[in-house]
Amino acid sequence: MHGFHGQLLHIDLNCGKSSWVPLEEARLRAFLGGIGLGTRLLHDYAPAGVDPFAPANPLIFASAPLVGTGLTTTAKFAVVTKSPLTGFIGDSLSSSHFALELKRAGVDAVVITGQAPSLVYVVITDHRVEIREAEHLRGKSPSEAETIIRGELGLPGARVATVGTAGEKRVRFATISNEGRHAGRGGAGAVMGSKNLKAVAVFGHQEARVFDDHRVKAIADALRERSLGSATDKYRNIGTVANLAVFNRLGALPARNFQQSTFDAADALSGESLAENNFSRAHGCASCTIRCERLFKALSGAEQRLEYESLFALGPLCGIDNPEAVLQAAQLCDLYGLDTISTGGTLAWAMECAARGLLPEAGKLDLFFGRPDGLLAAITAIAERDGLGDFLAEGSKRAAEKTGQGSAHWAMHVKGLEMPGYEPRSLKTTALGLAVSPRGACHNRSGAYEADFSGAVDRFHGDSSRGAVVAATEDFAAVLDSLIICKFLRKCFNDFYAEAADLLAHVTGWDYSAAELRRAGERIIIAKRLFNQREGWQPHDDWLPPRLLSEAVSTGVAQGVTLTAAELKEMIGGYYQVRGLDEKGFITEAKLRELEIEKPPLAGETHAQR
Amino acid sequence: MTKISRVLESLQDMNREPSGNATAVILAGGKSSRMGQAKALLVFDQEPLIAHIARALKRMFAEIVVVAAPEQELPALPAKIVRDEVAYQGPVGGIYYGLRAAGGEFSFVTSCDAPFLNTELIAYLTAQISDYDVVVPFWEERYQPLHAVYRSSVLPLLKMQLERDELRPVYLFDKVRTRKVGQDEIKTLDPHGLSFLNMNTLEDYQAALKRWQQGRQEEKEVVAPGSTCTVELFGTAQLLAKAKTVSLSLPPEATLARVLSSLAEKLPMLVGRVIALEGTRLASGFSCNINGLAFVRDPSAKIASGDRILILSADAGG
Repeated sequence: MHGFHGQLLHIDLNCGKSSWVPLEEARLRAFLGGIGLGTRLLHDYAPAGVDPFAPANPLIFASAPLVGTGLTTTAKFAVVTKSPLTGFIGDSLSSSHFALELKRAGVDAVVITGQAPSLVYVVITDHRVEIREAEHLRGKSPSEAETIIRGELGLPGARVATVGTAGEKRVRFATISNEGRHAGRGGAGAVMGSKNLKAVAVFGHQEARVFDDHRVKAIADALRERSLGSATDKYRNIGTVANLAVFNRLGALPARNFQQSTFDAADALSGESLAENNFSRAHGCASCTIRCERLFKALSGAEQRLEYESLFALGPLCGIDNPEAVLQAAQLCDLYGLDTISTGGTLAWAMECAARGLLPEAGKLDLFFGRPDGLLAAITAIAERDGLGDFLAEGSKRAAEKTGQGSAHWAMHVKGLEMPGYEPRSLKTTALGLAVSPRGACHNRSGAYEADFSGAVDRFHGDSSRGAVVAATEDFAAVLDSLIICKFLRKCFNDFYAEAADLLAHVTGWDYSAAELRRAGERIIIAKRLFNQREGWQPHDDWLPPRLLSEAVSTGVAQGVTLTAAELKEMIGGYYQVRGLDEKGFITEAKLRELEIEKPPLAGETHAQR
Repeated sequence: MTKISRVLESLQDMNREPSGNATAVILAGGKSSRMGQAKALLVFDQEPLIAHIARALKRMFAEIVVVAAPEQELPALPAKIVRDEVAYQGPVGGIYYGLRAAGGEFSFVTSCDAPFLNTELIAYLTAQISDYDVVVPFWEERYQPLHAVYRSSVLPLLKMQLERDELRPVYLFDKVRTRKVGQDEIKTLDPHGLSFLNMNTLEDYQAALKRWQQGRQEEKEVVAPGSTCTVELFGTAQLLAKAKTVSLSLPPEATLARVLSSLAEKLPMLVGRVIALEGTRLASGFSCNINGLAFVRDPSAKIASGDRILILSADAGG
């Protein structure tokens, strides 16, 4: 087999045993790797209705065919599990050297089930698996734990993915971190923590064979060249933080828990201001020519990575207007292993509660909009599950359900996953993308915002035609996330499906067409929905928070714009139709046959029985 | 190649050079004997002529060097002043002392009596020095050595000329890699060769003043009153231009393409990065929004007076 190793590693922490399981070529061909392969394995390994924190919930690390080929931006891996935040599929991506070593360890995926009796870490080196005691790492930050583990292994080349305190304490939006990057959304870190698994270390020497090295190298050279052109200018020259000033100007920057769509202090927090006042250096993942990461210097002198989403969530969303405070908050999230979007989203919900006289404990913490001390104290409290933090560690959906008193109105999540920094009322295609995304409010699994920001559609008005737009962007993202190619490279292709299929064919030796690749994208999306459907998805789960459907945009150029329930319903109807789902959004047997998708095991069935 | 694309490409090439590599040298130490008074101090556009020239060049060059005669009176200038060690050695002396004082690898050299500098032509000439030692216009059958670009590496040859009393710059051109820029090329940027119009007599001065005032009047006439727009720059564009907004005066019925070409002229550092080299559309990674509302891709889209044009990244991923 080329491009893959043709096997996965299953580690059962209950008994400490591991096994190597063959992966058939047909399955890889149908689901590629990364998010697609992880989704398919989730079908296989997650028992129906499994509690996300139950030992049986699989935690899946999935590699991909392009990893290790030297193609720019492809050093990535996926983490897939049943999300403790949403109860549906939780799929996230991270990148850099861990991705390369995971593949060199000789596996296409690692599936971890069970629960260790005490805190452990797992070491995978070529064909060996070792489980080591990790109590001494309890409470260590991800970067500390990485350093210690590499030292203990005596393998400087080993790479480590680890959880911080938040993961150990099962904060439902804890991340898995490696080299300062995170598999961030959906709480995979909490699942890892629930297994008493502090870290996974990987190291190996097994390069996956490439079918046509010469041709792949030529394609890699061409893509590298294109990756340095103007299509990636933003990422190379300022980073994603550039979004803030633009979104503010376009009335698309959610602020103060989506009560505003602009932020008065946007200028102080803008990427341009950060570049001028705080820039320290640019950084990139392994195998990446774009180098989008920006490290900024805080007054303390410490360097801190900052992306747009972290900047938005810990800044305007919480009413914080001080860049220093945002950098400190982001630093704390990294230190504890917390998803910055869900942290900011949950805290913004709590701040609004405090402003309305609810959550007395929030007031005591000074957890109000615009108060840096309250924000920073609350982040630590969440990670430690201390006091109010324990309550907020459940995420905004659960917190609002417990609090009642109408607070669900301003709990800004979809399916339990807190909203990213795109205002859906002034970005109607994005609104649909967020509502129907299988993993919840996610801007990464569809990229629907692209239509709104291009002028290809009227961003202030949505109708059924948006269904096709969103479906197409979802399929596209699914293919990118499964091959895996970073989305920041997406505009460097002239004819993406044709070029990517050609690339895959030369890596794997498969006769693979653009049409087959498109179909794989659709298959992956439907397979995700199928998992959710088995786990109890209902039509009301494809919906947006009440605030967005009842309050007009109050500030900026989009002031007065509304998103009505009828408008959203029409868009969703259009989406279901294009997707070939029934009118309520359930998957039809015909669709499953068309895409050749097996149903996942039902309750009472096991993987082995099927 | 069209005029605008030629200019923009030149400006782009120029922008690729680090700003510290290029200097402008103004020779001010001539005798002014026929004028009867110091040319450098003639009032032009409400300021001393040399200040007028230095101000025009300062927009293009990080460093300005003025070569003056010993004891010559000069107004306050944003320039490094050097004095001829030996007065009145002609242009070769001035060029030599100027290049010697210049910090850059090459210098655009002009005199203090040529008020109609054409920045497009200067950019065009400067952009070509990378493959040559001298880039010199050839206008009306004559070299124009005092509107030319010289690489500092020619200093030893100039010194030798001074020692041999070879005071005509053209002697240099045969000895080094010289790019002769012909009249046809020049005309695409400066149709009447005003760049080479210098003033030697009071009559020349008066004619130049009249011509200048006529030009200003024509400029006013082509700009319709109130036809302006404001360009808001985001991300890379803002960082390159070191400005958040730019006001542009536009003719009536202006299009997006016209806005972009005006912006390119005003902020040449955007050309090739944010604005495509041909100058009337954005580079592929950028997009344009009008008033924060509509995204506009069509270069022929009409821009209304008072519109605010946002130039931003085409990619909203984050």
